[in-house]
Amino acid sequence: MIKLDGVTKIYGHDTLAVDDVSFDVAKGDFVFLVGPSGSGKSTLLRLMSREEVATEGDVWVAGRNVCELPPSRVPFLRRSLGNIFQDYKLLLNKTVFENVAFALEVIGKPRHVIREQVPFVLELVGLADKSERFPNQLSGGEQQRVSIARAFVNRPLIMLADEPTGNLDPATSEGIMALLQAINETGTTVVMATHDHRVVNAMRRRVIQLDRGLVVRDQERGVYE
Amino acid sequence: MLARIEYALRETWASFRRNLTLTMAAVLTSAIALLLVGATFLIQRAFENLLVQWRGDVAMIVFVRSDASPEQVALIDGTLRAAPSVIDVDKLRYLDKAESYAEAQRIFVGDPVTLSLLTPETIPTQFKVVPLTEDTDLVRSLADQYRTLPGVEAVALAEDEFEVISTLSGFVRNVTLIMSLVLLAVAIGLIWNTIRTAMFARRREIEVMKLVGATNWFIRIPFMLEGLLQGLIGGVVSCAGVWALNSAWSGGVAAFKPGTGISSLVVPAGYLSGVMVVLLLLGAAIGAIGSAIAASRFLDV
Repeated sequence: MIKLDGVTKIYGHDTLAVDDVSFDVAKGDFVFLVGPSGSGKSTLLRLMSREEVATEGDVWVAGRNVCELPPSRVPFLRRSLGNIFQDYKLLLNKTVFENVAFALEVIGKPRHVIREQVPFVLELVGLADKSERFPNQLSGGEQQRVSIARAFVNRPLIMLADEPTGNLDPATSEGIMALLQAINETGTTVVMATHDHRVVNAMRRRVIQLDRGLVVRDQERGVYE
Repeated sequence: MLARIEYALRETWASFRRNLTLTMAAVLTSAIALLLVGATFLIQRAFENLLVQWRGDVAMIVFVRSDASPEQVALIDGTLRAAPSVIDVDKLRYLDKAESYAEAQRIFVGDPVTLSLLTPETIPTQFKVVPLTEDTDLVRSLADQYRTLPGVEAVALAEDEFEVISTLSGFVRNVTLIMSLVLLAVAIGLIWNTIRTAMFARRREIEVMKLVGATNWFIRIPFMLEGLLQGLIGGVVSCAGVWALNSAWSGGVAAFKPGTGISSLVVPAGYLSGVMVVLLLLGAAIGAIGSAIAASRFLDV
């Protein structure tokens, strides 16, 4: 589903963010990218969603070499990806329903699809009763659920999560992780960058550890060390 | 498809209202610029009424009395053709009563009193003379000679009537043209800035849209429509302005003494509507240009 082959990313002239990284992620996998700040976790995610282009090497996502993707095709790559972030990136002037609907609306889905799909995913993330609230009226965990609903509503093949529990307390994080696991069980590949020990250790899934841009460990059923 | 169109229109309208102050500035500037463009067209056209009889390097007009006999006309024609070294005989043109009357209708378009005195029967016919020489003294001496011919009512020289107006018209055209070009550029700049501001205000939304896979065109189109709408509204305002200006001017001109020439400086209604259509198209064009530049350059917010 995802394949990195000798990927190097240099920002500017000499800031080495990712150094000759290669790994495969199979369909339906759940992978943690771990490591300290600045180790290149976020850069790897941004390379996969083509927010950045690799300086060297190839990045294959859902059968496409994203490095060679013409800019006009990038939106269609993004439609097969769901992105979630530490800061949720919700639109504060839209309700929960509208935030999720927005993701379908801007890729031109007809209204009947929106009316059908949005309540369904809101039910899935446990926010069916809060669909008319605004993000500011929700807790951090609830906001992250909205963002997951928005990422999932288009049934992506892959979920890319950048520190999704970074702003949340342990109990809330557990709920978010249970949700991501449920999504993973539907067959969606999940790649999650984190430096949250607890969630990695609780899940016991594949762990790829990075340090200063290099892969220093790639382990099935790993823990955070 | 319908959902997309509906989305684009809704977003255009929302953004239009949200940014009212800047939008007003952009609309007003384009309106003023377009008004000036429209005024340039009208002034040029009005001057042309005066200049129409001198079109094509005509430097001398020999007016023939309306009661002149065919023999007298032939004599004048022969005399004019007798000076092939000074007069371009090939370009010598005789306007009969019907043609002279048609021309008079343009010259006296704003002067119905004079026009009503002229009929195809009473109007003087005319010879249009294109000289070969640049020597105005020579042309003038010829004119004095022709005035004495039987049947000649008058001889008019371009030097006396045409050149002042021509210079004035050229000057007015240049000034208004430069001013309208500058103002058009300012209008494009203001629309560009308004759209840029609108995009900056919605950068979070644009970020999310790109994230979930909206195409660049989908993101751009509402902004481009917004610019188009601003230019178009500017065009509508300028049309109203041009119409009001023209009505006031035509009304004022009608009060002038007939035969002063000022009364020629009006335009027919058909021409005015043509100018209005041009202004609307031009307004839409500057809106589209300004917003297209902004929307293509500032998508990476």
